[in-house]
Amino acid sequence: MPDQSAVLDDVRRGMIPAHIYNDAEVFALERERLFSRSWLFVAHESEIPQPGDYAVRRVLDDSFIVARDEQGEVRVMFNMCLHRGMQVCRAELGNASHFRCPYHGWSYRNDGRLVGLPFHQDAYGGEAGFRRKGQTLLPAPALDSYNGLIFINLDAQAPPLRDYLGDFTFYLDYYTKQSESGIELRGPQRWRIKANWKIGAENFAGDMYHTPQTHTSVVEIGLFREPKAAKRKDGATYWAGAGGGTTYKLPPGTVDERLAYVGYPFEMVERMKQMWSPEQLRVVGEDGFMISAASVFPNLSFVHNWPRVADSDDVLPFISIRQWQPISENETEVLSWFAVDAEAPEQFKKLSYKAYLMCFGSTGMFEQDDVENWVSLTSTAAGSMARRLRLNSRMGLLDDDTEVTPALPPEQFAGPGVARTGYSEANQRELLRRWADHLEQPAGDGAVAR
Amino acid sequence: MSSTDTYSSRSPLGAHAPRQQRTGSTLPFSDERHLLAYQWLVDETYLLDAQDYQAWLGLLSDDIHYLMPVRVTTALGAGFDVAPGMAHFDEDKYSLSRRVARFATEHAWTEDPPSRMRHHLSNVRTFATEDPDHLVVDSAVLLFRNRGDVRESALISAGREDLLRRTADGWRLARRTILVDESVLRMQNLAIFL
Repeated sequence: MPDQSAVLDDVRRGMIPAHIYNDAEVFALERERLFSRSWLFVAHESEIPQPGDYAVRRVLDDSFIVARDEQGEVRVMFNMCLHRGMQVCRAELGNASHFRCPYHGWSYRNDGRLVGLPFHQDAYGGEAGFRRKGQTLLPAPALDSYNGLIFINLDAQAPPLRDYLGDFTFYLDYYTKQSESGIELRGPQRWRIKANWKIGAENFAGDMYHTPQTHTSVVEIGLFREPKAAKRKDGATYWAGAGGGTTYKLPPGTVDERLAYVGYPFEMVERMKQMWSPEQLRVVGEDGFMISAASVFPNLSFVHNWPRVADSDDVLPFISIRQWQPISENETEVLSWFAVDAEAPEQFKKLSYKAYLMCFGSTGMFEQDDVENWVSLTSTAAGSMARRLRLNSRMGLLDDDTEVTPALPPEQFAGPGVARTGYSEANQRELLRRWADHLEQPAGDGAVAR
Repeated sequence: MSSTDTYSSRSPLGAHAPRQQRTGSTLPFSDERHLLAYQWLVDETYLLDAQDYQAWLGLLSDDIHYLMPVRVTTALGAGFDVAPGMAHFDEDKYSLSRRVARFATEHAWTEDPPSRMRHHLSNVRTFATEDPDHLVVDSAVLLFRNRGDVRESALISAGREDLLRRTADGWRLARRTILVDESVLRMQNLAIFL
């Protein structure tokens, strides 16, 4: 493995060697040093509501069964038979009390315990030859959840998920805790794009600058009233803990009026006011910022927008959760879920789903143009000239590293972390700084900082 | 499954979809109704290949339900093969009109330069319904799409069930269900129609 320290130094000062978006050696390092010890999203509890429900999800090449066992506990198990290594579950989702290997018939309960082993006595001499008791499908090394979002970590020594997420949970609640019942997910839509996984994560973390240009067309057709350049610039970006995101500045009003402005019905607003802390309500109601896109390091993103879904002035908010699942250095599987508060009125859920389909996902009119850019970038990053080019990702910084726009004081932004209004690439730099910290640290010495 | 149109009726946005269903067996290939439906579909593919979406929109009924469920891999006997409550397209005339309007702007970057496309149409068969003004048509479509000069081409294979309606202005598409043959699409986006 060649020394990457010069690359990492460039990344840290916001001058990104273009080849990191399409480089097999860099991807090998990401696999070894980043995905091996980051908390990675696998599913939301609402996808497996009943005992026996399961979904099969991957972390790079590893297949995991995310199941709710008969006691209602969520299990995440490596989908490989202990005997000869077949996948014991070859469906993507369903309900099962047991998973039976099709090769030799070993079978496992939905909590992972090995319970069936044909000819145990004849072939192995019973427990004396192969001790069945206590054998389970390999559990994910670490498993934890926040607001129903299930994460795993391939490093058993990883710090708890809460510590990893840090203050980002403050912002995560806007998306995932609008009522006592939390959100429910539908999907995901899944498709492969010939783009590096980091690009989507960076874009959702903080790229307010692309909105007026990339997404001109959705304003022109009357779908979305917000992304005009002037409006986007008035928003704030924030970074807190393991993630960061973007916001829109809302017109003056109370928290009720501002939540209504983006299309939430009265009863949902009432529940949000009960669920959210005074500071969380202040960011919306007094500071006037409404969350939009966000990313949690390394590859989980969120988006919240409020388009028109019919020929009227009304707007409808929707939430999407998406994962940039790496296939290789130049290919990513996008998993894009529609998410909605479980207690929302049925009519709201329908229209919010419609809003999602029109804007994001495999057919979304925002997403279509995003992906075109990312595929093009990845393709050009493969060649020798890209190794000579450092992409300027220093927006928001002067030559001497002083900031163009100072951070907002607490009286203008009540949320934790660092927030600033206007265009900047501070969040993208934060994301890639964490990326560099991971890549720098050799594997096998336990958890890394942050 | 295909004879009961459960996909459209189960879809979250399919409540107002036309409900006419096929009756009997395949119409003979010499039947005038089959010839008419087949020609309608062939003519439509030329519009889609040429991205003449304004003309295409004119062929859709005002109450159209245009649905492309998300397919999922499930165990034999699971009783479902689409993601519950999720689709790639779950469209009415308004949302389709916005998509078409977007392509007509000068800023729909994903199709500027445009893709080269060919909708290969086959396996067309036609069924009568209880209403002489409605026909149900099954077809297979293989979309070849190529962009630029260095990218690999992309394919989408799907089966379709269409409901065609006779109107004073000619036949119109009133319902389309697209069953794509992949659970994970190998295409960068669906800035296309099937």
